[in-house]
Formats: sequence, structure tokens, C-alpha cells
Amino acid sequence: MSAVARVAASLARIEATDGRVNAFTAVLADRAMARAAAVDAGQVTGPLAGMPFAVKNLFDADGLATLAGSKIERESAPAIRDAFLVRQLEAAGAVLVGALNMDEYAYGFTTENTHYGPTRNPHDLTRVSGGSSGGSAAAVAAGQVPLTLGSDTNGSIRVPASLCGVFGLKPTLGRLSRAGSYPFVASLDHLGPFARSVTDLAAAYDAMQGHDPDDPAQQARPIEPTSAQLARGSDGLRIGVLGGWFRTMTLPPALAAVERVAAALGAERVVEWPEVDRARAAAFLITNVEGATLHLPRLKTRAQDFEPLSRDRFLAGALLPAVWVQQSQRVRRWFAQQVAKSFEDVDVLIAPTTPCTSPVIGTEWLEINGIRMPARASMGLLTQPVSCIGLPAVSVPLWGLDPAAPHLPIGVQIIAAPWREDLCLRVARALEAAGVVSAPIARLASID
Amino acid sequence: MKPAQMDTTQAEAFVDAQCALLGLPLAPEHRPGVVRYLHLVAGMAPRVMDFALTPADESGSVFVPVSPTGGGPR
Repeated sequence: MSAVARVAASLARIEATDGRVNAFTAVLADRAMARAAAVDAGQVTGPLAGMPFAVKNLFDADGLATLAGSKIERESAPAIRDAFLVRQLEAAGAVLVGALNMDEYAYGFTTENTHYGPTRNPHDLTRVSGGSSGGSAAAVAAGQVPLTLGSDTNGSIRVPASLCGVFGLKPTLGRLSRAGSYPFVASLDHLGPFARSVTDLAAAYDAMQGHDPDDPAQQARPIEPTSAQLARGSDGLRIGVLGGWFRTMTLPPALAAVERVAAALGAERVVEWPEVDRARAAAFLITNVEGATLHLPRLKTRAQDFEPLSRDRFLAGALLPAVWVQQSQRVRRWFAQQVAKSFEDVDVLIAPTTPCTSPVIGTEWLEINGIRMPARASMGLLTQPVSCIGLPAVSVPLWGLDPAAPHLPIGVQIIAAPWREDLCLRVARALEAAGVVSAPIARLASID
Repeated sequence: MKPAQMDTTQAEAFVDAQCALLGLPLAPEHRPGVVRYLHLVAGMAPRVMDFALTPADESGSVFVPVSPTGGGPR
């Protein structure tokens, strides 16, 4: 199929379905068709030639205001250059077709965006897509594009991947350039891809690697391609199952998903990380204070224009004692050292991605182990301790594990030591090849 | 006084004092939500503040010095 035909099909699918899903905030049809024609003319070649993709609207796209899910940034000057990762994907032949909905300024786990409307879960339009990269996961699940990009500070790639039933990769902190993306928490922000297959996920990740002098947070690492490694599967890998917090803070469908993956991989060893709840608290406090610091000028002048679901959190974050966040950074370092020891005995660890399947839009509370908890914040309970210390993780989708909602997916995290994205992707590919995980396109029932 | 034990009056006073210090205007309709959220975070803070670390435990936030673009004398 030509690039023009693939992009045209993607644009037609967006046109036909996005009124129900609400994944896109901008569609770049003219740009995409021109770029596709250039690919067909042989002006651009590469492993992703002709593949349509879209990005969370916190990525710069030349000519578009970078909204970051907000009303306020509509007034920003349009970006004058694509983000580094967009340029990398297009250099490999992929074609940008649009920008995607998200929680405002990435502070949320559900993409119930008051300004732009909720992004609905394509597998059940009454439910949330997850967040904050909800549009990125939903667009892939709805078959609108085969590839998207999102960001993950506390789980914002892995949570929507879990709830929408697609694959999502959060690389090691500092691996991929963040230049040309709207920041949230400099200490914790990661960027990464979503796809319906591990092969596409790995191909996109490989294409995005590379040194970017414009990103001071990127670590000096060689380009380490993973695609050629996928066929090695899980052979020879020592795989463990995370216990403790990762079993306690879950509901039965999440536990069932982990058990299914563990059985498929022959993983019997249980590994417990110490003080996980302290690591989660540290990530929570760092996020609150750094995010509030970033937005303080706007909170002073335009608080009424912020997303009502996160405004009060931002305001409160500006007021907290400095020692709380400085101590959080020290706890984070301590926790990373303890976790590093666990990887002396295992290569890969598995854990649930979300405590449950997707909640109905508007859900305020859920109960986990007899504890009543705020539903939205709870979506990140199991991802936050992992991103807190920058470990790479792939969320893989499983199906039919929630008896109350058997049509819904749920994700399992495949976690490795820093810089070992290859191991996460190999295990994900092994599970995909065995038929344990998959990301089918949603059938998209009518909203009514 | 443990922050988690602040009552609503204390929390409101803290919010008002911090806002004044920062020059952050707080609309009356936003104040109850900010106080409620302060209680939530204050309940979480002891999980990091009560954890025994030593002076040798470094921060997870490490600054990298920035060199001039052109380099120094040879």
C-alpha cells in the first residue's frame, strides 16, 4: 500500500470515528498528504515509510500552538519547528497526521478534559481512556493511526495503554530527547510510543533514539536498536513477579492478568521492593511541587482558566514546605539503589499496570482492599513507583479478565533495569507471539 | 506539630500565609479545594519525612555543570 493510501485511510478513519472517541484536537490533513506523497516519490525512506502517526498535543508540531491540554496555551504562538521525536519519526518515513487530547498540563490519569471534552475508551465509550496520554492510547485502539507518542511522568503512557488495550513503552529516564515538548515535572518526565504491535513499538523506539544537543536532560548513551533483538524472546531471561505493594494495591482482574503472564513466562519467583509506598509518596510530592512551580506565573494571573479537576492541586503544590520535596528526592535515590540490587538476581519483573479495568467516566471513588480511594489518582498507584526511578517498562494488554466487564482490557508492566528497553520489548514480543497479549482494533459501538 | 494533624483552621491559616508570601491571589471559590488538597498531601508527607536517611544519602536531583559552547583555552 502506498504512503498516500495509508495516510488517506487513516484520515478517513479519524473522520468516521473521532466524533465518538474524541482523541484528536487537530488533524493535519494537508501536511500529511504532502508528506505521504514525498515518501511515495522516494524523497524519504526508512523503516517506518508511510506509517501514519499522531502525537499528544504537548509535542510541538510546526504551525500549531502546543496546547498541552490547556485553554491558556491556545493563545501561545504556533510552534516554529517539530519536536525532536517528531523529526526523528518523519526522518524514518512516518507521517504526522495530527495532535491528540490529554489531561491539562499532563496532571491526570483519565483525560476527562473539561476544555476539550473527555477522550472516550474505544472499547467502551462510557468509560475513560486513561491519561494523561488518553488521546494517544485511544487513537491507536480505535484504529485511527497505528502509532502515537505520549508522555509519562507517573504512568501517563502505561495507564492509558492498560485501559485502552494497546502496547505502550516508557523508556529509561533520559533516553529519548524531550526537546520540543511541553514539560510537566523535569525530574520525572519521559516520552515514548504507543502501538498495536511490539514490532511497531520497537521500530518507533529505535527511530527516536539519538543525541539531541537541545535536551540537557538526555543522558549520553549510544543508540541501542532493539528490533533485531525481538526474535530472541524471553529465552535465557530470569523473570520475577513483583509482590508486596504490587499485589496489595490491586483488584482481582489485575492480579489475574499478572498470573496469566507469569504462567506464560514460567515466572515463579516473587520479588519485593522495600518501601514502595514511600517511593510513591516521593513521586507524588515531587510532581506536585515541580508542576506547581512551572505553572506559578499562570496560577497567579489566570487560575480560573485552569482545568477544574487539577487547578486546586496545582495551587496547593505551590504552597508546600521545601523540605518535603528535597527529602523526596533523597528517598527517591535511596529507593533506586535498593531496586538496583533486585536486578542482580532477575532480568525482568512483571507487575500490574493499573489496579483495575477502565472506570466509567465521572467515577470519583473506588475501593481497593477495603480502602476507599480517589479513583483518578489511584490509576497511577502501580506505575508511579516505577517511573519515580526511571526504569524502562512496556505495558502489554490482556483481555477477558474482568468478569463484570469482560470486553475491557487490562495491562501488565514488563519492567527492566535502566537502559534495558531491549529486555522489556523481547518479553513483550514473546507474549504477543504466544497469543497471551494483543491489541485488536475496537469495534466502536455507537455512543447511544 | 505534625502537618498531618493540622485542623481546618490551621490549614486555612497556612494557605493564606503562604499565598501572601508568594503573591498568589486565591479566589474564595478555590480556597476550600486547596485546603482539602493540602490535607491530603500533608497526610502523605510523613511517608518521606519519617524515613531515616543518613547525611551520606544523596539527592535524586543532581545538577550537571554547563560548559561554554566554544570550550576553554587550550
